[in-house]
Amino acid sequence: MKLLAYVRSLCARLTDRERTDSDIDEEFRAHIETHADDLERLGLSRAEAERRARIAFGGYERAKEECREERAGFQLESAWKDMRLGLRMLHKNPGFTAVAVATLALGIGANAAIFSVVRGVLLRPLANRDEDRLLYLRQSIPGDDDLTFSVPEIQDLRKGLSTVKELGTLSQVDFTAVGLGQPREISAGVVDGNYFEVMGLKPVIGRLLNPSDDGPNASGAAVLTYRFWTTTLHSDPDVIGKTIRLGSFDGTRSAVIVGVVEPSVPYPVETQLIANIVTSPHHLSATMVQGREHRMTEVFGRLGPGADLESARAELRVVYGAMLAAHPEVYKPTDHFQIEVTRMHDQINARARTILWVLFAASGLLFVIACSNVANLFLARTVRREPELALRSALGASSGILRRGLLAEALVLCGTGLLAGVLIAAPMVNVLSRYASRFSVRAVGLTLDSSMLWIGVVLAFIAAVFLAFVPRLPSADASRGFGISSSSVRITGGSRRRLRIFAVTQITASFLLLVGAGALLRTLLMLEKTQPPFETAHVLAVNLPVMTDGRSPEQVREFYREVQRRLSTLPGVEHVASGFSVPWRDARALNINFSFAIEGAPREGSQQEDPRARFRSVSTGFFQTLGVPILEGRDFDDRDRDGAERVVIISQSVAKRLFPGQDPVNRQLRWTDPVMRFIGISFEPRRIIAVVPDLDDQELIPMPAMTVYQPFEQEAWNGRLFVRAKNDPYALVPTITREIHDMAADQPVERASTLDDIRAEVMTPDRLNAVVFGGFASLALLISVVGVAGVLAFSVSGRTREFGIRLALGARPGHVLANVLSEGLVIAIIGVGVGLVVWFAFARGIAKYTAEVQLPGVLPLAISAMLILAAALIASAVPAARAAAVDAAQALRSE
Amino acid sequence: MTTQADLLPGTLDLLILKAVSLGSLHGYGILLRIGQISRGELLIEQGALYPALFRLVRQGYLKARWGISDNNRRAKYYELSASGRKRLREEEDGWNRLVIAMRFALGAEAEET
Repeated sequence: MKLLAYVRSLCARLTDRERTDSDIDEEFRAHIETHADDLERLGLSRAEAERRARIAFGGYERAKEECREERAGFQLESAWKDMRLGLRMLHKNPGFTAVAVATLALGIGANAAIFSVVRGVLLRPLANRDEDRLLYLRQSIPGDDDLTFSVPEIQDLRKGLSTVKELGTLSQVDFTAVGLGQPREISAGVVDGNYFEVMGLKPVIGRLLNPSDDGPNASGAAVLTYRFWTTTLHSDPDVIGKTIRLGSFDGTRSAVIVGVVEPSVPYPVETQLIANIVTSPHHLSATMVQGREHRMTEVFGRLGPGADLESARAELRVVYGAMLAAHPEVYKPTDHFQIEVTRMHDQINARARTILWVLFAASGLLFVIACSNVANLFLARTVRREPELALRSALGASSGILRRGLLAEALVLCGTGLLAGVLIAAPMVNVLSRYASRFSVRAVGLTLDSSMLWIGVVLAFIAAVFLAFVPRLPSADASRGFGISSSSVRITGGSRRRLRIFAVTQITASFLLLVGAGALLRTLLMLEKTQPPFETAHVLAVNLPVMTDGRSPEQVREFYREVQRRLSTLPGVEHVASGFSVPWRDARALNINFSFAIEGAPREGSQQEDPRARFRSVSTGFFQTLGVPILEGRDFDDRDRDGAERVVIISQSVAKRLFPGQDPVNRQLRWTDPVMRFIGISFEPRRIIAVVPDLDDQELIPMPAMTVYQPFEQEAWNGRLFVRAKNDPYALVPTITREIHDMAADQPVERASTLDDIRAEVMTPDRLNAVVFGGFASLALLISVVGVAGVLAFSVSGRTREFGIRLALGARPGHVLANVLSEGLVIAIIGVGVGLVVWFAFARGIAKYTAEVQLPGVLPLAISAMLILAAALIASAVPAARAAAVDAAQALRSE
Repeated sequence: MTTQADLLPGTLDLLILKAVSLGSLHGYGILLRIGQISRGELLIEQGALYPALFRLVRQGYLKARWGISDNNRRAKYYELSASGRKRLREEEDGWNRLVIAMRFALGAEAEET
């Protein structure tokens, strides 16, 4: 019954709103006139009677308003009306609206985009089945945080564990693959039969590898990774069943492609193909199977039922401890061997996590700045509207109604900002995901997260509520509002203070962003300024992988000799050499280092470890090609062949450390690393024939590098070609390729690139970091400048009369100018001061957790501070000039 | 004399329902009727009457229709609905019980306790 009445009256209101409104008027009028009729009958004049009746009736408008509120559908109707009013208000102030909407759009858009990326990269589960039970094991010693595992170690661990259901293993191998289109070098994983079961992956087509593919008697089988299959092989389903030849450094085997694995995150390295053990002869060799120190395998595990990470970690430590105790000759206590187990998910995110959270913090700051700025504008405008609000309050608007009006306006504003924000968020996600893919493979191909829309809505709503409650409403004593002459605005102390606080907040936040961007920019500049220790612009590096298929080691060596001979005669070629690692690019090969000892030199103390040096295998002319002088002795030459006296060249750091004040040439050096046994490099002494400068080919900023070079003719590997060109190196690439294919049609010739470009490529993350943060910081700075200018403009326009009087009393315009400028500067200085305090607190906090994070020095702080102050000055200039130009007479007349 | 401000909460609704129960009335008429039936003891602030009327209409206790008054003016007339009549009975009972209880409470003498 009640509901029915409500609905009926609601319908009446909504369909005939205007009439009900005039109904109230008519009813009230009838009331007053009937009352006046009665009074008239008592003998009053008509006019007097009506006057008294009106007085008796009381607050006409307020009563009307209260009646409206009692009507059904009032909430709905008034919300609609408030919105329309809000829209009209915003429409009437296009400048304010544009700035506010743009600012909000940036704040909301950036947050939504970054949230999409954070969610996509960090929070989204992996494709692997029960991914939260997937574990990654890592063995480390101080100085090498990823030792990987050897086969005997894996067997020991596998035997002892109950919390971990199964272990799967993968070792990275570079195969030269023949049979997949052009012969090519591919990065591959060699896995045991449990691997895919442990990883919890499914095939897209065909099948994956299983325990029947294990062991030395299985036939070769390989699975393609999804990305390789879709991009390089164009999702060709006929590839299944194909037989390919896989060449690694110990020989060539054939394998049948049995399937394609579903898209998943490749870890620890990006692979194109995953094959079973038999495809890599090395993996079946005795050295690999029995050598406890022959570590090259990554281990994954899956939590057993009922076990959790903590119990697995505890058990693993016990089992590992027992293993260490059983082989004291391998695990010397001084080496501090350690094992760690993490969730695969966390391990994969490890590198991206920091950078993404920092980015998230940056976008949070941007949002704070945006909100402060809009709050500023909004507040300033509300103060200007104070007479209007006071008038409405006097006419019967309750403070709730006024607040609702403001809220509606803020909602309209933030809603528009949200819309614009969503529009810019989609392209931002594209840019960001390309950026994040430098740190995490999971960012590849990320699109706008639909749930980010909700983030945007929530942010917009927070902003709107915040905005609506920022301005102070006219006090209940409405009469004060009337006292204000309508043309000038007197700013109340509270509003002014709030405006300042917002301006200071903005300055603080943009200062922090600037400092961060400055630090990154400094790193980048330092990298770009640094000269690499060798020629890079004219040296072309080409991958020329070793093809062992049916060739003896001597034939392989002869091939590279012939390549070197033929290419050096080409016009435009200055020098040609070969090696096995391209600077900055071949991370795994560059990382190879072994311990060694000096023949005849007493060990420096008995406990001391043997020194370690980078191991490089190069051809004759390598140093010449890279433009590096030989400081002492001679280069490798034709005498240094297989079977001849073993020789090495050492870098200056080795000479300085081990032969201080002596001549190292003709002294002898011997590898002592136990791993040597497994890779076919002898422990025989080698004569030092030369000293070369330190060539750091790993770090972008060259560091002292202890390196030992061997002639590839005598031992070890090859596969990378270096060509020094007289002119444009890239012009040589077709000729070089043709020459090599003339000699061996199957030979892959890949990834030709100058060392300059490789270096630039490696620097890309740093450059992107600087660009992204620089972008954030400049946006923030821009918004803050607008904010400071807004506050001052507002303050100046409120003090027109004051300036007028001061100028009339003889103040110099310069004085007034300086006065306003200093006002702006004070805001900036306070902001920077707060920023410094926050910064140092943050720096101290972060130092507690990790020493890894490099904190920027004083320079970025100083530069950022200067930049902010300069920006504040510029921002204050316009309002200051306006203040100084106030026409005294006019200012006084306007009161 | 008691003004509206001093009325107990809810009394205004009860007074309006009572006034209207004696025959349909317009707003001004309701004021006069209340004054009359309370023998001039209760005076309602005129502007406050209408929000209460609107509320009672929304709640379905009153029905409103336009009519012509004695002085030939168009006026809105209010009358009780069925649920309004029921509400009035309940409120009267409640009020009477309260009055009796209050009378006992205030009339209590020392020797009776």
